Amino acid sequence: MTNANKIVISSSTKNLSKVRNFVENKANELGFDSNEINQIILSVDEACTNIIKYTHNFNENENIEVITELKNKEFRIIMKYKGRDFDPNKMQEPNMNEYFNNFKVGGLGIPMMKKFMNKVEYIHVNPDMNSLTLIKSIQNTR
Amino acid sequence: MEEFNIDIKNNNDITILYLEGFLDAHTSGELEKSFEKLIEDKKYKIVVNFEKLSYISSAGLGVFMAYIETMRNNNGDVKLSNMSDKIYNIFDMLGFPILFEIYKEENTALEKFNQ
Repeated sequence: MTNANKIVISSSTKNLSKVRNFVENKANELGFDSNEINQIILSVDEACTNIIKYTHNFNENENIEVITELKNKEFRIIMKYKGRDFDPNKMQEPNMNEYFNNFKVGGLGIPMMKKFMNKVEYIHVNPDMNSLTLIKSIQNTR
Repeated sequence: MEEFNIDIKNNNDITILYLEGFLDAHTSGELEKSFEKLIEDKKYKIVVNFEKLSYISSAGLGVFMAYIETMRNNNGDVKLSNMSDKIYNIFDMLGFPILFEIYKEENTALEKFNQ
């Protein structure tokens, strides 16, 4: 991959498009197809949106560092940010039939991340550093 | 920053929303405002045309979930049309066709209201 593999944004939804463009360019270089690229940028968007809304409470003084790397045939997008401990892997998956029957709203960001990526890894380092990694495998046929 | 626009047209008692651009957590408030205005104006029969929408995240999906019940409770509906494969895949993978009528063509969605 070429160019810088890291961007830092202030924690605001107005910066989501910057993150999407950054990740889209990297995914393009790796040869993912357009459907996979959409799934990757959507997952990163959902992760950053949750950090901005729930971890940083829209406080633009906070930052999110987004790093991309290629490791063992995996495209890894790592988000580093300060804030409380929240592991998306511990969130229970919604029952979608129940979700639609009850006209529920919200709560789909994490299920989307898990559905569209091959792996989601989360590490919390005390007192307040977090690292969330979204992983998409690169197929051997490519 | 990527843009999001909504163009609104009326076809008898049906309102058609034409979405364009990028619908995410930053822009979904604009779509919410449009739905609030429709409810205020007692317009409950809605077709949303996705032809020019390039991107949707869960914040955008949430807007449709938030208003469909109100529209249906008032003898209306939110019917969706003209999605690209990329956008349809997102709706489909999450199971949205269980709740929403999704049509290839706007005309078909309009006709369904008149049946």
